[in-house]
Amino acid sequence: MSRRRSIIGPGSVLRLPSARIAVVILAAIVFLMIFGSTLEPQNPLTINANALFQGPSAAHWFGTDYLGRDVLSRLMAGTRLSVLTAVEAVAVALVLGAPLGIASVFLGRVFDFIANRVADALMTLPYVFFVVAVTAALGNGLVQAMIPVGILMAPAFFKVTRAATLEFSQAQYVEAAELLGGSKLHVIRVHLARKVLPTIAVTSATMLAAALLAVSFLTFLGIGVTPPAPTWGGVLSSDLDYLSQAPWAPFIPGALIAITVGALNALADAFRDKAPQGALVEPDLGIKTHSTLQSLEAADGRPTAA
Amino acid sequence: MITEVTELTETIAPAPPLLAVEGIDVALGRGWRANHVLSGVNLKVWPGEIIGLVGETGSGKTTLARTVVGLTRPRRGRVLFDGTEISRLRGAALRRERRAGHIQLVFQDPLRSLDPDLTIGDIVGEGLAIRGGLSAGEITSRVEEALAQVGLAPALRHRQPGQVSGGQRQRVAIARALATDPQLLLCDEPVSALDASNRNYILRLLAGLRDTLGLPIVIISHDLSSLAGVADRVVVLYRGRIVEDVPVQQVFSRPRHPYTALLMASAPSVKHDRELSVHQLRRTTADPAPPAGGPASGGAACVFAARCPFAVDACAVQPPLEAVTDPGPAGPSSAGTGSAGTGPAGGGGERWTAACHRQHEWPELALRRPVTAGSR
Amino acid sequence: MAGQPPPETVLTDAAHQAGPHDTVLGIEDLHVTVHDGGATALRGVSLRVHSGEIVGLVGESGSGKTLTCRAALGVLPKGVAAARGAITFAGEDVTRLPARGWQRLHGSQIGAVFQDPSSYLNPNLTVGSQLAEVLRVKRRLPRAQAHRRAVELFTAVGLNEAGRVFHQIPAELSGGMLQRVMIAIAISCDPRLLIADEATTALDVTIQAEIIELIKELRDQRGLSVLFVSHDLAVIRELCDRVIVFYAGEVVEAGPVEEIIERPRHPYTQALLRVASVGDFQRRELEVIPGQPPHVGELITGCRFAQRCPAAVDACTAGDIALTRPGPAHEARCVRVDDPALAQVSAAVAAPVPDAAAAGGSDPDRTGDSAAWDDEELASR
Repeated sequence: MSRRRSIIGPGSVLRLPSARIAVVILAAIVFLMIFGSTLEPQNPLTINANALFQGPSAAHWFGTDYLGRDVLSRLMAGTRLSVLTAVEAVAVALVLGAPLGIASVFLGRVFDFIANRVADALMTLPYVFFVVAVTAALGNGLVQAMIPVGILMAPAFFKVTRAATLEFSQAQYVEAAELLGGSKLHVIRVHLARKVLPTIAVTSATMLAAALLAVSFLTFLGIGVTPPAPTWGGVLSSDLDYLSQAPWAPFIPGALIAITVGALNALADAFRDKAPQGALVEPDLGIKTHSTLQSLEAADGRPTAA
Repeated sequence: MITEVTELTETIAPAPPLLAVEGIDVALGRGWRANHVLSGVNLKVWPGEIIGLVGETGSGKTTLARTVVGLTRPRRGRVLFDGTEISRLRGAALRRERRAGHIQLVFQDPLRSLDPDLTIGDIVGEGLAIRGGLSAGEITSRVEEALAQVGLAPALRHRQPGQVSGGQRQRVAIARALATDPQLLLCDEPVSALDASNRNYILRLLAGLRDTLGLPIVIISHDLSSLAGVADRVVVLYRGRIVEDVPVQQVFSRPRHPYTALLMASAPSVKHDRELSVHQLRRTTADPAPPAGGPASGGAACVFAARCPFAVDACAVQPPLEAVTDPGPAGPSSAGTGSAGTGPAGGGGERWTAACHRQHEWPELALRRPVTAGSR
Repeated sequence: MAGQPPPETVLTDAAHQAGPHDTVLGIEDLHVTVHDGGATALRGVSLRVHSGEIVGLVGESGSGKTLTCRAALGVLPKGVAAARGAITFAGEDVTRLPARGWQRLHGSQIGAVFQDPSSYLNPNLTVGSQLAEVLRVKRRLPRAQAHRRAVELFTAVGLNEAGRVFHQIPAELSGGMLQRVMIAIAISCDPRLLIADEATTALDVTIQAEIIELIKELRDQRGLSVLFVSHDLAVIRELCDRVIVFYAGEVVEAGPVEEIIERPRHPYTQALLRVASVGDFQRRELEVIPGQPPHVGELITGCRFAQRCPAAVDACTAGDIALTRPGPAHEARCVRVDDPALAQVSAAVAAPVPDAAAAGGSDPDRTGDSAAWDDEELASR
């Protein structure tokens, strides 16, 4: 028997060509995110009335928008906000959902029942309206807007972590630990926590893709946007307004969004494929996460071993 | 007068058993469809003896082990350890009792009972870590001691279960049980998955623990022959009932229950020196129908009646487990027979019990049956 | 083998009516390499199974007995191939047979049963339908006839109330019953050879005894030849006519089973016998075989058992050791095979008690390093 392969370890996942491409793309995005502001060829806010709707050229690699602003610079500037707030949403979801998912297995039937019903309820809410309501209360900003998105994504983490914990908690080594006098906390800390990590990792990647899509959609609708700050969705939205003047324009931000989301999903799929037997437990979440790449497994709540 | 009686009582009073299982009933499922996995099981274990608990799949042997350690709740009956009832413990009290590590269970399949993501050192030391009160260095040295006790090199503690062989994994599971200084060891089929050489190695290991530490061990097995070299006593379980409880010398020379004899006759052997062949102990279509009302239909007949070639009308009532009265051929160290013999370490009680109405008659009948297979 | 009652089933294949010395399976000097030719797992294995004979292969895990079975079935895993030698089945050379050719042989000429029947059966279908499917596909029987034949076969393998069992799914049957179902499937198309790889290892002792009897019955009634693999010499003793002892990828001894048990000539066989004699209830000493077998493909000059052998001398590691014949039909691979002192030397060795310092020494276990291939590993590939 060989050593269990690490799901996150470079050796295993990067064998898939799709994963390699995805990692390259995502690395570029992250790079942009960190160094974007210093690398912008031009100030994304500078309006140039003489250079409206220009196509790609030496001066403007992606052309200019309806106010003559350099599209490339705007997109680079927008990367940081979009990606960071998407990460924020996933972080909120993870922190809310995962620990509750683990705890739910150990805190008795009543708690489990209530937690599941709350999760079910949250999963039925359409996030756009929820976001509008929250931003109305807390103020219009992307950071505020992604909190409700995170809350609505928490049930996904909850269900997934709960299913994984349930599966692993029935293992004989857990019984053995109980026989040694181990408390539930000991079992979670020593045995279970590390085993649900692969599942959480895959879910995080998928949810990040969904969150990015949500950011783009929200900013496309103009929610959470404080103009003239550039966002991917905002750029896409304004491009669609002026479609007749610059028909090529929406493809650029659209492609950027699609490629990034695609890369995240590809990475999640690579994690799934390369996970050792039995390391992953993923139930069908039953919600649309805007990702058609997500595989659907067994019915809600029932764990399926990978 | 009274003083004399008291003195007399004191000298005859037997040492109490370390573990006493009394009247345990375990059923899975509810109501009339419940599966009675164990019925009226009584078992006593004294220090310094190895007991072989033998039964087929479905006999309830694993359930009995799980009931003793509290993983399964009995419907009736109780389990006492060193005089204290442990079967009713729950929650924090149960955890406290378990942390003390009096009774340890070695599971059947080390691939499942050892966490594949932990190192062997962590696994063996887990009980000590849970118990607390020891520094990391102290735990490490205890772990190395436990590994040494099972014949594994201390360096193995850095490896993971998946990196060692099956026989070594089994030893790791035993080392984990030993690390907490248990007073009683339960081993569920510790050698069934191993080849003959590894099997003997582990059995000798267990015998060594009994000899050097006086550790009582209950070895659960489906096969009598694997216990032959090490057991002091054999307890035979059939469909949730104990059918025979006998010192090892007696069981191999003259078992009192036909099922025990069947187990022995079925065991493959490189030498062909069996007293009875399996065909003499199996029911055939030529035998009269057994009395109806077996436990499967909820009746009170002997559990083995449906399979027993010697069943008669009297077997419609489950025979009680009672002391074997007439002495068999005396073994080298058997002190008494039947009633007040002394246990291996001064414990008392019945040394040899069997549950069969015809325990004196069936051996003769068996010898008269054809040795090879007739028509089915 | 001679004087058995005529087979009950109608044997359509004329080859079945051949005489008792007809060779059903022949393996000649087989060498099998693993890791795409990187290491040799089997060296120079030769054996024959005659019509109506039960031949046992015995040895430790990784000794090559399962690999030999897989070669005989044409199911060697990826990267594993027969590099040298020949395998013949009923006279036909099958060493380089393509998959299509094996399809023809599987079921109708060769049947197989393995250790864990539940992993070979679809848990969602009734066992009867799974057997009937085999009959419909391979024998082209219509549905109703396949059903009847399946019930007949279930009765023939000793399943009571075969009609009821037909409609049960694997989860409702015990291990012993499932193994009988597997045997029924394996013999359903009247094969000439049944290969059983550790078929009784996972069964209770009483059921094991019944299955052993069943196999003997099938041999007596149908002239079935059997290749039976086990690590348990006692089971081989009960069932087989001839036994072949494997060690580290080689045949070290072969012969009639009584002969091998009474007069083993190879120290490894002698060790196996000492270890297996726990069936002798009166004895209380438990023997072990100290040391570990070599890794698969490890290059060793001379005898592969020499490093563990209590009777080893210089000649043992000088060069390749050929099989010699200490008796008619009895072969052994040992330079000291004719040395009368050999038996005493190996008996005199008593293995030491568990020893802390011995990560390798008296440990009868291998360290499980990745270079070694278990039979279990092979089975899972």
